[in-house]
Formats: sequence, structure tokens, C-alpha cells
Amino acid sequence: MQTIAFTPETPPTEDRAEAFGRELDALRTRTLEDLGARDVAHIRGVIRAMRWFEAVGRGLLHFGVDPVTFVLGSASLGVAKILENMEIGHNVMHGQYDWTRDPKLDGKAYDWDTSCAAEHWRHSHNYEHHTFTNIVGKDRDVGYGLLRVTEEQPWHPAYLLQPIAALGLALGFEWGVALHDLRIDETLAGKQSFAELRERSRPFLRKAAQQLFKDYVFFPALALWNAPRVALGNLLANGIRNLWTFAIIFCGHFPEGTRMVREEDAREETRGQWYVRQLEGSANLEGGRWFHVMSGHLSHQIEHHLFPDLPASRYPELAREVRALADEYGYRYNTGGFFRQMGSVIAKIFRFALPNRAPRVAPSPAP
Amino acid sequence: MSVVSPPLAGGGLVAFARDLAYRVVAEPLEFWLHEVAPTFSLSETLAEVVAVVDETPDIRTFVLAPNARFRGHRAGQWVPVDVEIDGVRVRRCYSISSAPGGARLSITVKRVPGGRVSGFLHENARVGAILRLGEAQGDYVLPARAPARLLLVSGGSGATPNISILRDLVARGAVPDVVYLHYARTLADVPFAKELQGLAAVHPSLQVVLQLDDGPPRDLAELVPDFADRETFLCGPTGLMDLLRRRWAETGAIDHLHEERFVAPTYARVDSGKTARITLSRARRTLTVTGAESLLEGLERAGERPDHGCRIGICHTCRCRKRSGVVQDLVTGAISDAPDEEIRLCTSVARSDLDLAL
Repeated sequence: MQTIAFTPETPPTEDRAEAFGRELDALRTRTLEDLGARDVAHIRGVIRAMRWFEAVGRGLLHFGVDPVTFVLGSASLGVAKILENMEIGHNVMHGQYDWTRDPKLDGKAYDWDTSCAAEHWRHSHNYEHHTFTNIVGKDRDVGYGLLRVTEEQPWHPAYLLQPIAALGLALGFEWGVALHDLRIDETLAGKQSFAELRERSRPFLRKAAQQLFKDYVFFPALALWNAPRVALGNLLANGIRNLWTFAIIFCGHFPEGTRMVREEDAREETRGQWYVRQLEGSANLEGGRWFHVMSGHLSHQIEHHLFPDLPASRYPELAREVRALADEYGYRYNTGGFFRQMGSVIAKIFRFALPNRAPRVAPSPAP
Repeated sequence: MSVVSPPLAGGGLVAFARDLAYRVVAEPLEFWLHEVAPTFSLSETLAEVVAVVDETPDIRTFVLAPNARFRGHRAGQWVPVDVEIDGVRVRRCYSISSAPGGARLSITVKRVPGGRVSGFLHENARVGAILRLGEAQGDYVLPARAPARLLLVSGGSGATPNISILRDLVARGAVPDVVYLHYARTLADVPFAKELQGLAAVHPSLQVVLQLDDGPPRDLAELVPDFADRETFLCGPTGLMDLLRRRWAETGAIDHLHEERFVAPTYARVDSGKTARITLSRARRTLTVTGAESLLEGLERAGERPDHGCRIGICHTCRCRKRSGVVQDLVTGAISDAPDEEIRLCTSVARSDLDLAL
């Protein structure tokens, strides 16, 4: 097996991390106490906007005949799907609004408009990814079992094709996400039985069939003679959503400067060190209010990873305090514009398609 | 069950179609109905406040126009009312004060000092406000054959189910020999006083008796000499109810006494280190945990295997409903003491005996 080189980073001293963690805990508690009507008004406003975009989009697709209404309808439906998946679905399913006790905002009951089964998502994302963030070998979101995004992942000739694989993943991102928790790669590697894979496939097949039926049979059928136009519009809307969510999510953990962590280094982690790992393993995107909403506030990936169950619309105001704390305690706070971060992700996808350039001397494991 | 209830887990074509119908039809339809009119809904019983009446300085009646999902009530029953206070949905149960049968119903609410929901209703539930209702329930109702001699006893806002029973009898034109006895501080504190006066003038078989704190104290035997022979409905403050209950017990007429209590139970506090008894009401098992460990650790130590994920309070996998009891969140220090609150096992410690929906 190839030796694995890790970022030569001095591990955070325990005291510094603990003090930092206590500050973040206090920030979290202050925010929890402040939650109220404005947070509920925000998410209901987004739900309302989503429904209107959806209605306008479907109206234009179903009743229009010209290419202009086709493009506008598909775009409007695409925006609805983006809002639904990101600011509503992702955040509600995190339990960010469980405190409202509104059954419509219940994280355990919500099911979103993508082919990914909600129960799979809650397990692979809310639990696994958010608990084991960036721990190579434990966080299956590192490269999604498909791409090599850090030198810590061993190279294989198949990775030469990863720019093409990444493009494919971007276009069909919801399917990548949907298949994620099936762990097909583990079955291929002999680490998961076929029986287990079959069991895991059930929720996936069910949800996938629902989505395909809805987008490509039910709604087109409603449009009668306009059926092909509606089916194509739905495909386009799903595609727009896929590209956008891919871009936002890849900018969350893969831009230059985000830290990956070795499994053994995270084993005896304290709460403070957990916070530090979340901070240094995530990257933010700068932009305006609607850019943040359209990204589900994952443009504030750092704050999301520190406080995954606080309402995401709080992240911009939390970011000011988190950034000040990071500066004060000397931790890196990775933020940049969308094109800079995306550019660095694309550069990485090309760079890590090739083996590590200079075979670096791996630091010998701690005795 | 309604077509708009959230989908249940399960397989098969029926479940598939039901889930799809929920997401594609019911959910959007529910949104658009609500856009058209705030009380339109296929899944929720929504009611609009159409009138607010001051009964006494601190008791107010809210007349509600519910949507078609409200299935009516029997006189004496109560209804769960959900309000949203600063973003959080809170439920309280209120006796219905109106007679059954109409398109409207009313609840009569006493403003409790420091009471979150009663205070909210008094201040915010103006005409046009929307309230969420549950189904009317309770067995504080007249038997199928109305008793020949009836006694309705109340204190404070305990008058609400009794006035409903009386209004029902009046509406049905079947007022038997009824004594309506109410305890209050002053005449101004008697809800429905004018109406009662008017009814007594019209119905000779109705006798309204008031016992006021600012008047001469009279014993129950003076107020209603034949109280033990009457089918009695008693609702009021705990002190009054306990006092009167004893009188029925002494005379051996306890079988004729119907009681309605609205008191939040109090819990014996458990300090860290002491043990608390946990009832898992779905599994029908009980076990003990200490107040020094998280509920998740305690349950696992007792051999339970509840759903969980991160164990540090972020993923919400271990969220479950606490039906009763007090828990404290280890991370925020927040106390949850209301019934039917959602808690996270991994960051909560027991602060009293608990009933969990596990």
C-alpha cells in the first residue's frame, strides 16, 4: 500500500481547542435562545417563494408552446428545485427547525424533491459526514468514493479519467447523492455483502421510481400534447439544480487549504478539537443574500459544520463572530469568492487525477 | 385518516402511490389552499377568531369559526388548541364554553399570571387570528339520559364546561331541575353572570347560586341542601375541588360526582447521581438511569438499543418524544418540563421520572 502523506499541521493544543470550543458552545447557546418568529418567517417565506417558482415554471412548461417560455419555465422550475433541495430540504432535514414543533418543518418527517431517499440522507449526511467530517477513510464524502481530491487518497490509474467522471457527477449529481449510501464501492471491494447492498437498495429504488414517475410520466401526462416539452423541461430543471448543488457542495470541503484528517488523529478527539476539525475542514463562499439563500447557506459551510442544527439563515451573522474567534485563536478561516473557490476545486480535480508529483517523505507515524 | 397525513414507512404499490400522492398532490394543494384562505386545509383543523368577549377582568371568550374538519363536540368536552408563540408551537387544552351543534364554538380562557398561552391568547388572539384545534374530547359530559336533578359546581374558569352543559340543556329545551353554583371573589369575577341571570328568569327549574368571597361565607349544605342527591359536575381550582370532593366522599355520594381537572402535574426533581425511573411507553418497559449520565448512555446500559448517530447532539437521529417528566440538555443547560416535547437522548439527562415514546 502506498504511504499516505498528511498535511504537516501541528495538532491543535488541547487547551487552545477547548477554550475555542467553549466560545463556540456559548455562541450556539446564545443563538438557540434567540431563535424565534423571524426564523420561522424566513423558512416559510422561502417555502412560499419555492411554491411560486414551481407554479410559474410548471405553468409556462405546460401551457406554453414557444422556446422562450420553455427556457423560462425550466429555469423557474430549476430555481424552485434548488430552493427546495438546499435552503428547505437540506436544512429542515438537519433538524434546524425541530424546535418550532411544526410538523411541516420536522426534520425526521421531511422528504425532499431529489432521487436521494430521505432516510439514506439523514444517515450518510447528518450523522456520518457531519460527525466524521474530512476523516479520510471514515467520511465517505471525501471524493464521494469516485474522485481523488486530496493527496491523502492513494492514486490509481482510473483517476486519470476523473475530470470526465466529475463532469458526469455534476450533471447527474442527485443520482450520485442517491447512490451514495448504497456503498456499491464497498461491495465491489468485498467489504459489504450483496445481501446488505440489496437491503440498502430498497429505499433508493423506491424513491428513484417515485421521482422518475413524477418528473417523466405524471407531469408530462397532465400536459397531454405538451408531454414531451414538459418531460424535457423537467430534465432541464433537474440538470440546472444538479450543476448548482454540485458546485456549491464541492466548494464546501475541497477548495485549496481545507484540511483532511487521519483516522487515528481524530480518535480521542475532544469537543473543542471536533470544532477545530469542522472549521479547518470547510470553506466559505462570499456573495449576496440571494446567493446565500440559493446555496442553502452552504456558502457558510464553516458555520454549517460548526452548528449543523442551527437555522442556516443565522449563519451570516454567526460568521462574523466565528471569524473573529478563529482569528483570535489562530485558526485558519477559509473564505473566498465563488469563482476562486470553484477554480481551485477544478484545479484539484485535474491535479489529483495524476499521481502525487514529488514523492514526499511521509511523516513517520507517531510512536 | 386524512389523505394529507405524512407518509408512513412501508412497501408495496399502495404505499408507493400514497407517498407520491402526498408529495406531489397533497402537500402543494395544502399550500395553495392556505394561500387562498388562511383557514382552508385538508389536514388541519383551523379556526378563525370571529369575536372576542370580555367575561370578567381576566376571563375572555374567543368565538371561533372552524373549518369543515372540526367534527363538533359534546357539552363539557375540551379541545386542544395550538398557538405559535415566537415561532414555537405550544398546545393547551381548553374547555369549550359554547353549546354543541352550531357552526361556531367558543373557548373561555382565564389569564393565568405568568401563563404563556393564556397571556398570548389574551394579547394576540384578536378577530381574524387563526388557531389550530385538535379534536374535542373528554368524558365530563352528561349521561345519555339527562339526570332529573343536576348540580353544576365551578370556580374561576371552571365555569366553562358547566356553562356549555347548561347552554346545551337550554338549546334542547330540556332544562331539568338544575342548580348552577359558582364560587368567585366578587360578582365582577363571575363569568356569564348576565346570561345566567337571564336564563334563571326564563327557566323556573334553574337556580343560580353564587358564593362570593366578599359576601357572607355559606356552607355547601346551606347553598345546596340536597347536593348529595344531585348528579354533580365539578370543575375549578384544585383547592376548591379537593375541599368539595371531601364533602361528597363523606356523604357517600361520590358516585354522583363528575370532576374535570386542569392542573399540570408536578415532578419530583432528581439531582445528578440519583436515579430516575424511565418508562418506555411503546416498548412497555421500565428501567432506571442516573441523573449523571445521558439518557442514551443510561438506556444502553440498561440493554436498550435506541436509534442514535453522532452522540454529541448534532445529527438529531436520537430525537424522541418525551411524554412527561423533566430533562435537562447537557450542552445548553435548557430544561424541558412540558409534556410531549421532543428531546435528544444523547445530550439530555433525566431530572425526574420520565415517560418516553420509545
